[in-house]
Amino acid sequence: MVSLDRAGESTEGAGTGMIAVDGLTKLYGDFAAVTELSFTVNPGEVLGLVGPNGAGKTTTLRCLAGIIPATRGKITIAEHDIAEDPLAAKQALSFFSDEPRLFDYLTVQQHLDFTARLYQVADAKERGMALLEELDMADKRDLLATELSRGMKQKVALACGFLHEPRVMFFDEPLTGLDPLAIRRTKELIVRQARDRGVAIIISSHLLHLLEEVCSHFLIVKRGRKVEHGTLADIRAAHEGADLEEIFVRIAGEDAGK
Amino acid sequence: MSALGYLITRSLANSVVHRIKRLRQPKYLLGAALAVAYIYFYFYKFLYLAAGASPGMKGVAGGGSIYVGATILFVGTLALAWVLPASRAAITFTEAEIAFLFPAPLKRRTLIIFKILRSQIGLLFISVFFTLITGRWRMGGDAWTRTASWWLMLNTFALHRLGASFALSRLYAQGLADWKRRLFFVAVVAGFALLVWQAWTSLPLAPAGPVGAFSKVTQLAESRTLQWVLVPFKLVVAPYYAHGWREFAAAVLPALGILLAHFLWVVRADASFEDAAIENARRRAKFIASAQKGETRFSTKSGKARVPLFRLRATGFQATAFLWKSLIRIGGKRTLSRWAAFFLALAATAVWLNHRGLRDPSPGLIALVVAIGGACYIALIISFVMVGQQAAGQLRQGIAGMDLLKTYPLPGWQFALGELLGPVVVGTLIQWAALGVGTTLALAFIDSEGHGIGRAWIPIAGVAVFLPLFNLGTSILPAAAALALPGWFKPADVANGTPGGLEVVGLRLLMGIMQILLILLAFVPVAFFGAAAWVAAGMFGCDFAWKVTATASSAMFVLALEAASGIAWLGWLFDRFDLSGE
Repeated sequence: MVSLDRAGESTEGAGTGMIAVDGLTKLYGDFAAVTELSFTVNPGEVLGLVGPNGAGKTTTLRCLAGIIPATRGKITIAEHDIAEDPLAAKQALSFFSDEPRLFDYLTVQQHLDFTARLYQVADAKERGMALLEELDMADKRDLLATELSRGMKQKVALACGFLHEPRVMFFDEPLTGLDPLAIRRTKELIVRQARDRGVAIIISSHLLHLLEEVCSHFLIVKRGRKVEHGTLADIRAAHEGADLEEIFVRIAGEDAGK
Repeated sequence: MSALGYLITRSLANSVVHRIKRLRQPKYLLGAALAVAYIYFYFYKFLYLAAGASPGMKGVAGGGSIYVGATILFVGTLALAWVLPASRAAITFTEAEIAFLFPAPLKRRTLIIFKILRSQIGLLFISVFFTLITGRWRMGGDAWTRTASWWLMLNTFALHRLGASFALSRLYAQGLADWKRRLFFVAVVAGFALLVWQAWTSLPLAPAGPVGAFSKVTQLAESRTLQWVLVPFKLVVAPYYAHGWREFAAAVLPALGILLAHFLWVVRADASFEDAAIENARRRAKFIASAQKGETRFSTKSGKARVPLFRLRATGFQATAFLWKSLIRIGGKRTLSRWAAFFLALAATAVWLNHRGLRDPSPGLIALVVAIGGACYIALIISFVMVGQQAAGQLRQGIAGMDLLKTYPLPGWQFALGELLGPVVVGTLIQWAALGVGTTLALAFIDSEGHGIGRAWIPIAGVAVFLPLFNLGTSILPAAAALALPGWFKPADVANGTPGGLEVVGLRLLMGIMQILLILLAFVPVAFFGAAAWVAAGMFGCDFAWKVTATASSAMFVLALEAASGIAWLGWLFDRFDLSGE
């Protein structure tokens, strides 16, 4: 394994980053889905979480978002330990799953109202309206979730996730099932959150070319272990200038020759 | 066809092996043992064998009438296939079957035969079940002949329903409008009714009462005008009433002939069922997905956006957001207003009936009072269990979206309280309405002189204030079970489109018993402190109203403590709910 972290960018182990992970291990019975994973993500950084199927990407994200408990290790979100102070940590984060989960019987606006109450967003009305405008959903605010296309549902999920202005965002395959236009818009939104608001973001995806456009850093995992971590330039340099896809194929295919 | 045979046999074998394998888990073994014991002691020993010891049930006296009655019932069941038909071809395929079989080079006829063969396992189980529960009404023969008879009748019904739907589907395709079909059906029914009327008026007068009416109906069915109509139906029902194997063998041949005729009718029908089958599969998949989420009838209707019952402010107690969401799910302002209007109308009727009943207790009025009041009290009694179950179902549905819930910054007890509150609030309002209407009507009898009505309302008010906490309390155990043992309550078998199996029936039975025991246990301290308050109030010389107030307050305080502890426990379970294990 090559570790390519550079001072001032991503660092090994729990540091002062907005997301700090130290020795994260997740076991399902005897099976280790994630083993001793350590990294940090600073404000404004976008980390691409890459790895073959079953590498432990979704498990890692779910542990980070507090959906499942880590077996070992420490996770800090916006300086709050997710195990010790989960409510404060969750107040600072948003998790976007691959499939937007909406309530069939609520309208778009009612989703925002519900989310606002959960996160105690006092100025939710203005923020919600602005978000819907930005996502071209203002005229859909009175539609039920069942009346929306998949792309629109994704937008509602994004609006709900952005409403409380989280400082940390996790995206698990955010572009699955979206048309090219929606992919482009989602991509722009993610970049803007990091660039303009300094949000620390982790994206897990198999769409490597898109990740190359969006991410400032990459973490490549395999069988739950860190294989590569650093900026794309550093990782490429360590692999004789190969592009991300080639690096991925090499790493994923290492077992094939054994 | 061999591939389809392979699919049927392998699916069955895999399902049986899967069920046997999971008996290695103690929970399923316990569930299976309980279910077997339940079936043995209740259905077999109590319902079935007890019938053998009851001479009144076994004798053939009156058998002829029962035979004719059963035939009429069978005719009615078959008529439903035409009166209330499936809107289109009533053949169902799973989504996997559609994906694999529809594009395959198979004839329509082959697919129909496949579905008929596939349905046989289920029909066989139903036949055994019906044999057990109808043991008390057996007229002759043994378990084997009765099971075979049930299988024949059920198959004839299933094929008739399928054939009717194909026939109607073909008529639709040929452009027969709905109104024309209905007109035709009405004309047929009218003609038949005329025939029946003529036969009825020619019969001698029967004694009043249900026995006389039944006797007259059977006479009508056997009258010269109508007996020919029932012949084919009688032939299908006849094997069930056969005495011994010889009679059965004689009776079964014509029944098999009718079954074969139905089979040929169905497989030769060239009705297009593919579109309807795909639509059915989609609906079924949606239903399964809903069931998997723990949804109930409350939540399945979609359509227009629902207006919330109250405006949800952006800040405040977070659990309120779940209550707000639940009330929208139940139907929002419009549905709840309709319910409120219905109960207000019912209450006004009850008050009017109460006054009329006090002045003029005529038999018709009394019957009406008994019917409405009885319905209210029955609804109230059923609700004692149902509200808790409904609330727990709501929480289970919430658990299905645990990925999302776990990212919310709120403590588990607020989630639990919020999810349970919606059904508890609505259930309590319905209970109050039923209690109020039922009591108003009951007082028309109890207090016909009009004295002490206020006094009679005092314990009712005591019960009413008790109900919200009672409902919250009864929802805690099933909700906790869903959180603590999600694997037991996850309808995995529903998701696979197969029945839950004996062990799941046993598990549900176990949970029901535990719930009743826990409710009883929870009531021990409530009753103790309530009784203590009653005695203490008596010692201080309080009158009836104060005694009731003291008792209700004390009981409510204890129940509130229990409910609060229960909610805290649910919150603890929620916070520790580990999705990794799911």
